[in-house]
This record gives sequence, C-alpha cells and structure tokens, in this order.
Amino acid sequence: MSKGKTQAPTVIHKVIMVGSGGVGKSALTLQFMYDEFVEDYEPTKADSYRKKVVLDGEEVQIDILDTAGQEDYAAIRDNYFRSGEGFLCVFSITEQDSFQATNDFREQILRVKSDENIPFLLVGNKMDLEEKRQVSIEDATARAQQWNVPYVETSAKTRANVDKVFFDLMRSIRVKKQATPSSGGGKKQSNTGGGKDKRKKKKCIIL
Amino acid sequence: MIPLDIVAVVRKRSQGGEEELQKLQHEVGQLAENTALALKKNVYKNYSQFIETAKEISSLQGEMYQLSHMLTDQKSIMNAMIEMSITGHNGEGPEETDEGVGPGEDDTQKHLAFLLEKVEGCSGVTEVPGRHLVHDGDLLEIESESFTTVQKLHAFLLNDSLMLTTWLPHRRGPVKYRLQCLYELDSLAVVNARDMGGVKNAFKILMFPDTRMFQAETPKAKGQWLDILEETKKKKAALDTQRKEAAAAAVADRKSAVSNADVEPPTERSRNSILESELLHADWLQEAPEDLDVAIAQRDFEGAVDLVERGNEHLDGCPKGQAVREYRARIELRIKQLTEVLKQELQVSPERSIRGGPRCARRAVTQLIRLGKSSQACDLFLKNRTAIIRYNIRQLKIEGNTSLYVKRLCLVFFDNLLETGKEFMKAFPQHFGCFSGFVVWTKSEMLYFVTTFASQVFANKTNFTIVAECVAEARTHCNKVSEIGLEMTFTFDRLMASDVERLIQEAGDFQMEAVKHRCSEDQWRPVNHLNHMLQVKFEDEMKDIGLTTIGDFTYGVCFTWLTQNSVQFTKSYVSLCVDMLKMYNPNQHHLVTAAFSEIISAQLRHADRSISSHKFPDQETVILKNAEFLVQCLAPLVQSKYQAVTGQPCSALDHLQATLKKIRRAASTASQC
Repeated sequence: MSKGKTQAPTVIHKVIMVGSGGVGKSALTLQFMYDEFVEDYEPTKADSYRKKVVLDGEEVQIDILDTAGQEDYAAIRDNYFRSGEGFLCVFSITEQDSFQATNDFREQILRVKSDENIPFLLVGNKMDLEEKRQVSIEDATARAQQWNVPYVETSAKTRANVDKVFFDLMRSIRVKKQATPSSGGGKKQSNTGGGKDKRKKKKCIIL
Repeated sequence: MIPLDIVAVVRKRSQGGEEELQKLQHEVGQLAENTALALKKNVYKNYSQFIETAKEISSLQGEMYQLSHMLTDQKSIMNAMIEMSITGHNGEGPEETDEGVGPGEDDTQKHLAFLLEKVEGCSGVTEVPGRHLVHDGDLLEIESESFTTVQKLHAFLLNDSLMLTTWLPHRRGPVKYRLQCLYELDSLAVVNARDMGGVKNAFKILMFPDTRMFQAETPKAKGQWLDILEETKKKKAALDTQRKEAAAAAVADRKSAVSNADVEPPTERSRNSILESELLHADWLQEAPEDLDVAIAQRDFEGAVDLVERGNEHLDGCPKGQAVREYRARIELRIKQLTEVLKQELQVSPERSIRGGPRCARRAVTQLIRLGKSSQACDLFLKNRTAIIRYNIRQLKIEGNTSLYVKRLCLVFFDNLLETGKEFMKAFPQHFGCFSGFVVWTKSEMLYFVTTFASQVFANKTNFTIVAECVAEARTHCNKVSEIGLEMTFTFDRLMASDVERLIQEAGDFQMEAVKHRCSEDQWRPVNHLNHMLQVKFEDEMKDIGLTTIGDFTYGVCFTWLTQNSVQFTKSYVSLCVDMLKMYNPNQHHLVTAAFSEIISAQLRHADRSISSHKFPDQETVILKNAEFLVQCLAPLVQSKYQAVTGQPCSALDHLQATLKKIRRAASTASQC
C-alpha cells in the first residue's frame, strides 16, 4: 500500500453531505473530486472520499462522507453525523419537499453535535434548472439567516459554486478548530501540527 | 380395399375357362410370395431398428446411472465442504431469519458452537438464541486518518451483529482469534471508501465513538462485505419493524377493545404480547441472562439458582407468547450450562481431587435438586461416592496381615457408607423417590465390598481364626450401619453364606481328621508336667480357656489325668468353637451344631473304643477320667459359650452324657473282669 505517500501530517477536514435523496449530493461530490458531472442517477449508500487540496495556501485534506438520502434509520444516521466536522445541507431548488427536509436534517445534526455554531452551509443545488424552480431565493435565504448559516446556490452540472461551498465550509471548519484546538472529537493528531500557527490566523480574521 | 362381390368375381373369372383360372392361381401364388417376402424384409428392417433402439436405451440407462452416481458424489462432497467450512450454513441463514427464531435454535447453537472453538471469549456472543453466522473473512484495519496499518482482524458477521476478532499471537489448539468487540447492526453505519487517495478496497464502520477503517484483500471481497452487510442490516431492520408493527397492532387492538365494550375482547395473543412486553421490561429480568453468566463464572451456584427460580416464577406469571418464549430460551440455555457445570462438579475425573468430601458435593447436589434434576443429582452423587469409596479402598495397603487389612477395609467402607447415608438424608430430604436409588446403590456397593473382602479373606488359605475374626468384624460394622436405618447384615450374610458355610465345613472336617490322627497314635498316658511350676502354668492356661474345674483333673505335684491327646483336642476344639460362634448366624445353625457335636463325639468315641477293646487294661482310669473331662468339663463350657451367642442351649451335645454312661459301664465291667 502507499503508506509513504499518504502518511501526511496534514489537517483533515471532515465534511458530510446531507440532504434528501436525489438532490445531487453525490453529483456535487463527484464534480468537486473529479470535475465531472454524472448524469445517471444511482442512489448512494454511503461513500467516503478524500482529497488533498490547497486551502488559502495551506495543504489540507478533505474527507467527504456522501451519505444516503434514503437512509431510514436514525441511529445509523446519527453515527454518520457524529463523525463530521462540517455539513453541507443540500436541497434541490426544483423540489419543495427537499427544502422542507433540510429542517429535519438541521435538527438532527444539532441534536447529535449539540453545537449551534457547527460549520454548516445550506446549499440549493440544480440552479441551472431555473425554469423549474420551486424554492425561491428569498425563502432559502430567510431560512439560512434564521439558522445563522450561509446560503449558496450551486449547479453540479455547470460546476457553479461547487468549489466555493466546499472551500467555504472548510474555512469555517478551520476557524472552528482553531477556536477549540483540543476538542472536536479526538482530532489530537491532526491538531498538534500547526496549532500555534492557526491561532494567529484566527486573530487576523476577527480583526 | 374395394368391397368385393365374391360370387360375381368368381363367376367373372371362371368364365375364361381352366387356362384362365390356372393363370390366376399362378398370379395369386406369386402375389402371396411377394407379400411374404416384403413382410419378412420389413420385419428384418424393423428388427435392426429395434435392436438399435434397445442398444440406445441400454446405453442411455448406463449414462443415467453414471449421472446419478456423479450427483451423489457431488452431494457428499458438498456436504463435507459445508461441514468443514465455517460459513457453511450460509445458505440456511436467511431462511432461519424468515422463519423467526423459534425452530432453528438448536441448529443455530450448533452452528455457532464452532465459534466457541475458534474465538476466545465469545461464549456470550454464541449464546443468544437465533443468532447465526452470515459471513466471515480476514480484514486489515487501517488508521482512518493516516492510513497506517493497525492490525490484522478476522470479522464475523452474525445476523444481528458484527464481531471483530484479533489474531492470537501465540495460537494453541483450535482457538485462533480473540474477541475484540461486537457491534450491534442496528446502528452500525457502513461507509464505502470510494477514493481514499491510494488506499484500495477499504470501507469504514462508524459506530460512535469509534470510526474504524478496514481494508479487504480484493475489490471483490470488499464488495461482498458491503453487500452482505447491507443485506443483513436490511433483513434485521425488516424483522424488527415487523415485530414493532405486531406490537403496535396489539396496542391498537387493545385500545379498540377498551373503547367499545361490546366488541369482542382482543385475541388472547395480542393481549398477551402486550403483557409480555410489559412484564419483560423489568430491569433485573433483562439483565438476568448476563447475571447468570457471571454467577456461573464465579461459581456462585446458589446465586445462579436463586436467579433462575426468581426468573421462572416471574415467567410463570406471564402468558406464553413469542417474546417470553424467546426469553425463556435464553434462560434455558443458561440453566443447561449451569447444570453441566454442576454435573461436572460432581463428576469424578482423574485430575480432580476427590478429597473435597461429601459436603462439597452437597452444594452442587442441592442446587441441582433446586433445578429439578434430583434424579440426575442422586445418580451423580452416588457415583461420586462410589468413586470415593473405591479410591479409599485402593489406598489401603495390603501388608500380609489379613485381619488388620480387613479391619481397615471395614472401617473405611462402612464409615463411608454411613457418611454417604447421612449426607444423602441431608441432601435429599424430601425426595423419597431417590431413596430407593440409594438402597440399590448400597446393595451394589456391598457387593463390591464383599468381593474385595472375599478376595482377601477366602481366596488364599487364611487361618480359620482370622477368617472368623474378619467376618465377625464385618458383621459388627454391618450392625452399626443400622443407625441410619440401613439393614446391611442380611445382605452381607446372604452374600457371604456360601463361603462361610464352606469354611465351617472345611474347618470341621479338618478337626475331624486331626482327631482321628491323634487318636490312632494315642497311648493314653497322662501328661507329666515334670514340675509344679509347669503344672500351675498348665492349669492357668486351661482356666484361661474357661475350664475352671481343671483342678479336678490334676493330682500330685506335676501330674494331670489328661492325656496329651485330650489337651491338644481341648485347645483346638475350644478355639474352633469360639471361631465358629464368632461368625455364627442362624442360617448356619445346623452346620455349626453338627460340627460341634460330631467332633467331640468322635473324641469321646475314641475313649469308648479304647475301653471296649480292652487294649489299654492299665489305663482304664485314665480313659474314664478323660472321658469325664470331655463330657463334664469341656462340653458344658462349649454349651455355655454357645448359649451366650445364640441364646439357646446346644441340644446336639446332650447325647454325650449317654455315651459317658456307656463308657462308665464298660469301664466297670472291664475292671470286674
């Protein structure tokens, strides 16, 4: 195995894709990972990806857990959510139900993580299908404001805002980690590397 | 064929005259010939076809045989493989799940039994009824962040949980793995690692707080794991929802029943299942199986049985439904285990010391009785005791001294018997059914004792005195046993009878021979003790035997009227009588009295003959004195000894007086001549 290659002391940011079935979680993930758009739909069970990316000049790893929209069992979903540091809560702007479902996901994540300020982005996908829009930008923004999270519209097909949502989320994960260096569910290994360094950066952001 | 008007045809044909007719005849003859030939040809033709068909059929038959043979071969190979393979019952698995838990329980136990052999510390895992193995395989655990190898694992997927085991570093015997952890499938999150930047064939298991990453050997193996995990989870979930729905339906049933009273009451079953779920929710009851395990492991048998009784009492109050049945099965399993352990406790094995004593056994026996296995307990208890007795007897050293050995043997055996009896009363106080078992046991033990006894006492030519002592010893011990209400004397006597009778007979015969021998050489010379000292010594000796009137038969400083023959006879006769009386029992009454009287009669007859024959004219006084001694001194002694033992006079000796009179008469006539 390629131990040498993968054995990097880099920081790993754990991102979890949540949202109803068919909203495009996997499409977004695959677009981000491989710059390709997959047309044919096949329900995901639970897939995990990892990629090295450069975040503001720093090499980090992103670990994406693409969950199943159809997962029926709350106990299992809890286990997925517990492993995440940041969440991309995806709905389809062409499907009102999927927007309504985001409420449930938000609720469950907050229950599991018990942290109002958990890195979280509300993502309205399929913005290329403007003509089929069912969820207005106003409604989505209002909900995002209520939750105190950013709202971003994306298109996995056109790659619009795809990188943005992932990088925005990673940034807020990074901020979060710097605020509480030793907590965050046993990320001791990854934090010891550049703890002080990041602390300075955090101050910059506040200023 | 055209229907022929035969008359018309004949008329028409016959019109042409004889020549025409002959021609016709010829034609017809030819036609017949051709037809016959064609027919023949056809038959031949078909014949060969027929043969061919027959051949085909027979070859086909052969092939079929071969095929069926191959099929059976393959079947047996498959069976063998199923038996060998640990995932062999894979195929049966799903069916079992579908059917529910009840019927396949024993099989399941059997299936999981191999896990016990392979995995250290998984006994708790295998005990859940209805659990079975679905899949297993080797996996490499890797660190989920740095992807470094952590350890080699072997995973077993059961129908309701995933068991991870580590490889034992130093494996001995069939145990290969050690249980690391068991994850319930209910909340187990499985993640397929699609692209981990170089790490292939990996997948993750999320089970808060653990996140574990595993690597399979091949993409196929990984795919298999993911598929089977998914499928098993689904099956389990389906089963669970089924149950939940059933319970919910039951609740609804009850509610509807409550709301409208005229509607028929809910079916017994549905109500039961509610009651059940309520009753089963007691905390202690839920933990009972685990607590039982602990108690068994800690050898706290009393605690375990207490728990079982409490559980059973509780469950008896519950209606019999699926959930209770399942729960009961879990308890039953523990009870079986407990019984096994207790039985082992009682079992005699060479490596275990049996010195623990009966109190140790009582503990196990009491618990077994409480579990309702009193007959088994009785059986095992007695077996245990048998082993102890055998062991103790074997420990006795045979040192040539038979009477000492027998004394010890009796002591050991009867002490053990007594102890067992007392212990038995304590252990099985109200189980009268077991007492018959105990009695039978004592009988068989007695037989063993008598065999050992006989082989020591009767087999080699042991001195009659010693034999008598031994028998007497054993008999007193037998009487002692009666204090626990056991009558062993009869059994003992019955078992000994033939040997004892034979010995009495033999001893008597031997004595008779001695009498004859001594008498043939008897010269009727009184014994001269040479000096007074020896005379006194002789008198003391005789008095010791019990002949207090010996003084009547001595005279002078050193003389006695008795001959050497009489003295010797007296000594041996008295000792014989004493010995015989020692081992006397009423069954041998006849034999003993006969021996008594015959021997002394023979001696007396010798005196009678000596006088009547006038061979010893000078010794008549001596003969008379000796005869008087036998009848008036020796016989009463034996009489009294006999009466002391048997409680009745020995009438067989009465005729001696008559013989003495006869001798006196003869003596007086002789002196007159």
